[in-house]
Amino acid sequence: MLRLRGGDIKIMEKERGRIMSKKLISLADCCVAFDGELVLDHINLYFNDSEFLTLLGPSGCGKTTTLRIIGGFLTPTSGEVLFDGVRINDIPPNQRQVNTVFQRYALFPHLNVFENVAFGLRVPKTETVEGRKKKVKIPEEEIRQRVLEMLEVVSLKGFENRRITELSGGQQQRVAIARALVNRPKVLLLDEPLGALDLRLRKDMQSELKRIQQQLGITFIYVTHDQEEALAMSDTIVVMDQGRIQQIGTPEDIYNEPKNAFVADFIGESNILDGVMHEDFVVEFFNRKFKCLDKGFGPMEPVDVVIRPEDVDIVPPEKGQLRGTVASVTFKGVHYDTIVDFKGFKWLIQTTDYHPEGETIGIILNPDDIHIMRKSEYSGMFGDYSSYSEEYDELEDVSLLEEDGEGGDEE
Amino acid sequence: MKKFDRGGSRFLIGLMFLFLYLPILLLIIFSFNAGDSSAVWRGFSLHWYSELFHNRLIMESLYSTLLVSLLATAISTAAGTFAAIGLYSLSRRKRDALLVVNNIPMMNADIVTGVSLCLFFVAFFQGWGSFARWVNGMQGAFQLPTRLTLGFGTLLLAHIAFNIPYVILNVAPRLRQMDKNLVDAAQDLGCTWMQAFWRVILPEIKPGIVSGALIAFTMSVDDFVISYFTAGSSTSTLAMAIYGMTKRRITPEINAVSTLLFLTVLLLLVIVNVREARQERRGASMEPRKLTWMEKLAVRTSTPRWRWVKRGAGAALACGFVAVVIFLTGATSSRPVVNVCSWGEYIDTDLITQFEEETGIRVNYQTVESNETLYSLLKSGGADYDVVVPSDYMIAKLLEEDMLEELDYGNIPNFSLIDDRFKHLSYDPENRYTVPYTWGTVGLIYNANMVEEEITSWSALYDDKYAGNVLLINNSRDALGIALCYLGYSVNTTDEAEIREAYQVIADANRRGVFQGKVMDEVFQKMEGGNAAIATYYAGDYLSMVDNQADGVDLAFVIPEEGSNWFVDAMCVLKDAPHKTEAEMWINFIASTEANLANMDYIWYASPNREALEQYPAYYEELYGEELDQETYEIMAAPPEVLERCEVYENLPGETQKLYSQLWVELGTD
Amino acid sequence: MKNKRALFAVPYVGWMALFVVAPIVMVVIYAFTTADGGVTMENFASMGTYASVFTRSFWLAILATLICLLIGYPAAYFISREGPRFQRVAMMLIMLPMWMNFLLRTYSWMSVLENNGLLNRFFSAIGLFTLINNIFGTELEYFTMINTQGAVVLGMVYNYLPFMILPIYSVIEKMDGSLVEAARDLGAGSARVFRKVILPLSLPGVLSGVTMVFVPSVSTFAISRLLGGGTQMMLGDLIEQQFLGGAYNPQLGAAISLVMMVIVVVCMVVMNHFGEGEEQAVML
Repeated sequence: MLRLRGGDIKIMEKERGRIMSKKLISLADCCVAFDGELVLDHINLYFNDSEFLTLLGPSGCGKTTTLRIIGGFLTPTSGEVLFDGVRINDIPPNQRQVNTVFQRYALFPHLNVFENVAFGLRVPKTETVEGRKKKVKIPEEEIRQRVLEMLEVVSLKGFENRRITELSGGQQQRVAIARALVNRPKVLLLDEPLGALDLRLRKDMQSELKRIQQQLGITFIYVTHDQEEALAMSDTIVVMDQGRIQQIGTPEDIYNEPKNAFVADFIGESNILDGVMHEDFVVEFFNRKFKCLDKGFGPMEPVDVVIRPEDVDIVPPEKGQLRGTVASVTFKGVHYDTIVDFKGFKWLIQTTDYHPEGETIGIILNPDDIHIMRKSEYSGMFGDYSSYSEEYDELEDVSLLEEDGEGGDEE
Repeated sequence: MKKFDRGGSRFLIGLMFLFLYLPILLLIIFSFNAGDSSAVWRGFSLHWYSELFHNRLIMESLYSTLLVSLLATAISTAAGTFAAIGLYSLSRRKRDALLVVNNIPMMNADIVTGVSLCLFFVAFFQGWGSFARWVNGMQGAFQLPTRLTLGFGTLLLAHIAFNIPYVILNVAPRLRQMDKNLVDAAQDLGCTWMQAFWRVILPEIKPGIVSGALIAFTMSVDDFVISYFTAGSSTSTLAMAIYGMTKRRITPEINAVSTLLFLTVLLLLVIVNVREARQERRGASMEPRKLTWMEKLAVRTSTPRWRWVKRGAGAALACGFVAVVIFLTGATSSRPVVNVCSWGEYIDTDLITQFEEETGIRVNYQTVESNETLYSLLKSGGADYDVVVPSDYMIAKLLEEDMLEELDYGNIPNFSLIDDRFKHLSYDPENRYTVPYTWGTVGLIYNANMVEEEITSWSALYDDKYAGNVLLINNSRDALGIALCYLGYSVNTTDEAEIREAYQVIADANRRGVFQGKVMDEVFQKMEGGNAAIATYYAGDYLSMVDNQADGVDLAFVIPEEGSNWFVDAMCVLKDAPHKTEAEMWINFIASTEANLANMDYIWYASPNREALEQYPAYYEELYGEELDQETYEIMAAPPEVLERCEVYENLPGETQKLYSQLWVELGTD
Repeated sequence: MKNKRALFAVPYVGWMALFVVAPIVMVVIYAFTTADGGVTMENFASMGTYASVFTRSFWLAILATLICLLIGYPAAYFISREGPRFQRVAMMLIMLPMWMNFLLRTYSWMSVLENNGLLNRFFSAIGLFTLINNIFGTELEYFTMINTQGAVVLGMVYNYLPFMILPIYSVIEKMDGSLVEAARDLGAGSARVFRKVILPLSLPGVLSGVTMVFVPSVSTFAISRLLGGGTQMMLGDLIEQQFLGGAYNPQLGAAISLVMMVIVVVCMVVMNHFGEGEEQAVML
């Protein structure tokens, strides 16, 4: 059992739902501070062999910092980094069996595709043979073979002599992956590798990455702020915010059983209400008691109630447990985003049926639609759709700005 | 409308380039001039190009210019690149603060940079001198040199100091643009930091380094002001040599050497540009490009065995470069040397070669502009001359300040050939310090075609009739001395009223616009080209002007009836001169009759050597096949009745000297 | 990792302390001392004598800078509107004269401007003087061009014009072309686009060009000596005289250098401040 001081959340092995296999890398109580500001706050985390693990969170949450610690580009201010049980805090990146795919690929513009991929193989390594230090070089023929092999894996056969500037974004991405993988690392770190691609290409690359990971059977540690990407690819997701781990679990766990308002809001859409737990399996909100599946709370304990927009059933007003008025409707393709006003509190409901603005509707909530979370520092910050559209825009702007800021700080 | 617009702008750009290139074109054209004027065309000739390689002064300064520029470029490029990388890994605040300091040499006026470095070096040398003496006194195991002077080393340091900022300025943007992750990526792929530097950073910032190096080299070659203040006496760059010549007459060899330099650079730039343009076109067409032969060679030689060969070749080249530099500097320093400082165009340079061949001693021959400049150089500690050739009054001043070494006349047997008239003169009454080099008179030179009368009085100098056509000698002692003569006072007067009266004569004339300019050696090309009517200068120089006068110019020389100054320039050795023996050998060599004859013929100044003075007319006749004009001979070596009218300058007391320079500044700021 | 790289800066910081800061400290020390080492303000007190040199230097340098700006700005602007090939060749041609030593180029002007020089000869060959003399009844044989303030300013403009063009050009050339299009789109005419968009955006280039021309102009001594014939004494000449010339007095020379440096720095700071304000005004 690990104790996370930061979020004060206890994480049980059972809760994480991870298959117990060999621990490859562990971070024990890692802290990082830049200019006295705590960027990573007592992180405890381990990574299993052959696992696809995603660090998910908004910009500035510390996910890239975590990755850089593993890569060796950053030494934690305190705490330990263990690889196969050996402390590697002071091992420089060039001696770690870890390779990275960088945010904007970081391909070498002065080299062609082949030479970029071959770069790591051409670096002479110092090895100690019979007590003597010796520079070891990989024979040219082997380099050639391995590079071509890897270019085939990433579907770039025939591109060897192209210059980097002549490649599209997706192709550059593949070169970056090949360049990292050709060194046969035990762990591949990917820092928002798909961020610069358009939506279509991103979807393709997601399945491509998953395929490569399964084909090679090595650990991928993937950093992203895109929750869909995380849900689609990962074996395990680590949700982070403000330098702390908020929740660790399988994609299903994270989506269905968010630990707090932050996770609930960050992963998918959520309506989050204030409620009071009357007893086990009974929660009250909007002055009405609902049945639920949660227990183990104190009597009359205030809680956050999460209701996913797609879980709500719309019924005629007279049949509903609650009654509200449709405030706005947006067509989203598969469904309609319907904002419904319940006594001044606005919910987002996703339905396939069209309900025009101004219509009064009723809703029914089944016990398994209602998720109860303990109150946390995030309570009251998320889950109200009163200013739906503006909130969306603002969030996007802020994340863009922060991203730039982050890039500047970390250099 | 649009078309006209473009045509108009091109026309204006063309005009601007015409403005920029017209003088350069002139220079190039006149490098092919058969005559030695830079204004009168006398037919096409490659004469100056072949002369160039025999001109010792130019070739030496070209060599030191190229050496110092190349070394400074190499060092400052390497240092600047590393410094830029270092600066860019600092926090922004620190980096910005350091960049401000970095920009100081670029923003500061060159003259301030030069002066400040000069002061710094001199102060450092003084400090070093006492430190070295202390160390040498403490122990006997090794001896530190106690006497450091400005020279090639300080010149190089100064060039590096002003080049590094330019390199940083060019490398920094490349570093800023470089993806920060590249270095991380290289390390991630197994490189140590050093490997990442060589394999990734360096290729990435290469364009910045190359342009930085180019700019540094250009700045080094073009620099004059900073070199002027930091090179001291023993080294002279091309720019300094040119500056020395601009005062007198730029020999067309300089045009030739500059044309060669210019065309080389032009050719290089054209090649680079054509190649770049070709590459760009290839890049734009997106075709996989064919390998050039260089790249093919590179690919073929990238196998391990070849790599060793390449590495060996690289190492050999580097060693070779270092060896050549050491050899060149070593060769010059291990050979015995004598440092001579004299006036411009004041020796037949064949004599230097002859002396070197006879004795194996290398002569480092430098020139300065005037007695006052020489004094400044000596005072500032910037000079390490052995032999100097000051004029009478300056010798007295140097003696007064105990700056001269007593000579061992046993080593100078040729001293006996010096006419008794020039021994035991007032500046060195016991004759312990000096051997006369030349003597002559100051007179009035005029262009007979620009004045109507025959001039016999100094009054012509201050006459409104010739307003705008008189050249004032740019030297307080001579200018005021002449005015004193004009007023009938002694040139050595210490009476303030008399001196002020003389000053008033000059100042009034100046205010009335009589003077076209204040000149020293610039007088040559002004008078020769007929650009001024009247000037005052030295008799010997008048003769060389006559030799070079342009068509339609008819120069005449007169020692006005009011009298004038006659002077002696004498060789002396500076106190604690490091090469005293060699210096005395040099002095003895120059005092010989043969050397005096050659010099007299070359510079037209009268020799103090009795035999030479007597033999010169015969020497001349033998050399040129015609008789020497008696009048010319008398101008050169003024007969006793003329000398009677003339006075020798004596060293003035400090008070009077101060008055002189104060009045002189007043005239300049008027 | 980072700290290791920062070590690269250490030698350079040492170098700067030694060869940039220390020499300037030396100038300051000299400026406040006498020849025998005592502290004094006399060097500054006697500065009044040279007021005319100061004003002349600054006046001529300002004039030269303005003329450079008047020629250089349009030149840079016109060049930046040409094709890339033309631009590259033009830039090369602007840099190239630096490979002919500036003293030689200036000297070449001497032979052009002399009373008996190429220009006057050209004028007399085309009969200009006869014409003027016939009309005005004068007895003109040449125009006096050498040894005037005009000649000195010409020399400065000629030598430092490239330093004005290069920074302005590099700023204009990097300017986003869509800015001009946007301004046109918003209804601005050519003149307005230039005044409201191009000019303010190129101001940083203008400022650095002005600095790069003004500083060497105000401190030159070779140009004023060659083309001014020693009659147009400038600060550079004055300083040079104190160090290597007739009036050996390095303390005074240092003081003059210091005063000149301070005036120049103050000018630059004021100008940059003014420039920044301008930029902000544009942004508002």
